[in-house]
Amino acid sequence: MAGIITLTLRETPHVPLEAEVICPDVLAGKSREEIQALPVFLGKRTRRLGDFFEVEVDGDGEEVHLRGDLRKVRWIGRGMTRGRVVIHGDVGMHLGAFMRGGTIEVFGNASDWLGAEMTGGQIYVHGNAGGQVGAGYRGSPVGMQGGTILIEGSAGPEVGMRLRRGLIAVGGSVGDFAGLHMQGGTIFLLGAVGIRTGAWMVRGTIVVFRPIALLPTFLYACTYRPTFLRLYFRYLQTLGFPIPPEALEGAYHRYTGDTAVPGKGEILQWAPDA
Amino acid sequence: MGGKPACTLGEVKNRADLIIYWGGNPAECHPRHFTKYTLTPKGKFTPNGRKDRTMVLVDIRETPSARAADIFLQIRPGRDFEVLTALRAIIKDQPVDPERVAQTGLTLDQLRDLAGRMKRARFGVMFFGMGLTMTRGKYMNSSAILTLAAELNAFTKFIAMPMRGHGNVTGADTVLRWTTGYPFGVCFNRGYPRYNPGEFSTIDLLVRGDVDAVLVVGADPAATMPQPAIEHLKRVPTIVLDPKVSTTMRIARVGILTAATGISAGGTVYRMDEVPIPLRPALRSPYPTDEEVLRRIRQTLAARTDE
Repeated sequence: MAGIITLTLRETPHVPLEAEVICPDVLAGKSREEIQALPVFLGKRTRRLGDFFEVEVDGDGEEVHLRGDLRKVRWIGRGMTRGRVVIHGDVGMHLGAFMRGGTIEVFGNASDWLGAEMTGGQIYVHGNAGGQVGAGYRGSPVGMQGGTILIEGSAGPEVGMRLRRGLIAVGGSVGDFAGLHMQGGTIFLLGAVGIRTGAWMVRGTIVVFRPIALLPTFLYACTYRPTFLRLYFRYLQTLGFPIPPEALEGAYHRYTGDTAVPGKGEILQWAPDA
Repeated sequence: MGGKPACTLGEVKNRADLIIYWGGNPAECHPRHFTKYTLTPKGKFTPNGRKDRTMVLVDIRETPSARAADIFLQIRPGRDFEVLTALRAIIKDQPVDPERVAQTGLTLDQLRDLAGRMKRARFGVMFFGMGLTMTRGKYMNSSAILTLAAELNAFTKFIAMPMRGHGNVTGADTVLRWTTGYPFGVCFNRGYPRYNPGEFSTIDLLVRGDVDAVLVVGADPAATMPQPAIEHLKRVPTIVLDPKVSTTMRIARVGILTAATGISAGGTVYRMDEVPIPLRPALRSPYPTDEEVLRRIRQTLAARTDE
């Protein structure tokens, strides 16, 4: 379906605004008045979406454009299954949490819990993200179970915590505990990496390009040139994610762990000279 | 994630034969701990007191507690998580990298010896302090020691207990847990409890400026929290209930002096092993108790009709 719904935030709320209704599944096919009447939560109070956003509806499309300082707006695109959300500016926590399909693109920075527990779809962030990207919520046994999260900038701690399946790529630096408790899936870390990467991982692959301080529970296995990585890089390039051309060449040191679990995960460290 | 293997201090006194203090200095911070519960008292299954027990201290420097210990393991600052994770591997006879173990300040032989003692113990206890919980890694350090204790239960009885201080903090955790299901970092804004430390924990809320009013009861955040959090406390209406004029009360919009719990106010406190202990006031105070003040605030709010 063609047509775009544009929401423009009038002013930054002083406390967090929880707006899980900003989601193509909810907004598609609704009139301007219906969208304005949707409930959002300003702190503990229920308000109308129209109290905070200028709403423009062009056709009955599944594409939602957001403008303004959205840093305090949380839960956008929660559980979305289709359509497209484009955010022009910085956005708050839990963007695309539990999402199952569709795409989210952020021309700015995202915050913590980006794509937490998502099972499908794609999130592309042109700026930085916060911590717990694609993670599992506290007490939840699994995190992200499918889909793709691409971050051109940096990310915070616990990227891909309890990741089960899917792909996360971060162009900039990441904090500590990337791939914590990971049970599958793939994480690409192109920038600097914090300490304790891959702690307690059971399965899955973490690819790092910078020097890394490994835990004592990771053991060197071999140095090799995995073919599947080149396929991955080509795939990332088709999605428009910048991959340094030299990454396509060169060998990788393979470390297995975490033996504390004991787990069979792998950390592949780029070793261009090996 | 292994949950929290716990017991009371009475069990420690009567049964524990391996006592490990991790990142704490009980000789100076909990001076009665050794003599009342962990080292010297003679218990039912520890009839010879100190002779029946082995004490291990793990810390980054030799504190006065080291004199009481049979074994002192000095680790490099900020390497607790690495040591605990390596111990988890060693108790399961899994391989670890000796060079990277050595970077923690301890040798592989020292860790093997400790792991052996843990597995051979009849009843082991790990008490962990702020040297573990407040250094880099924070909650994951606590998670590591709790998981290690839970996994040691495949071999013997083992528990881990935080060395709590500062009055009734254990009580706050315990009561929140049985009322909401979560110990801290609980948000009620949607009408039901939600738990997400990092989003709803106090320092994060204040640093991000996510709250527009603050009620402080029996705590002194302005004395301990980072500067951006204190700046937000100054910005928004802050109400403080405290028996004394605390640092937070000096920067607060409203300060209410209350009776001192345990001296002039009764109630229940929770010991660090979560045993509730009733308190009877010994003196009378001209000030109301925290409970009275909170009740009256709630009644006044309930009487108002405008939100």
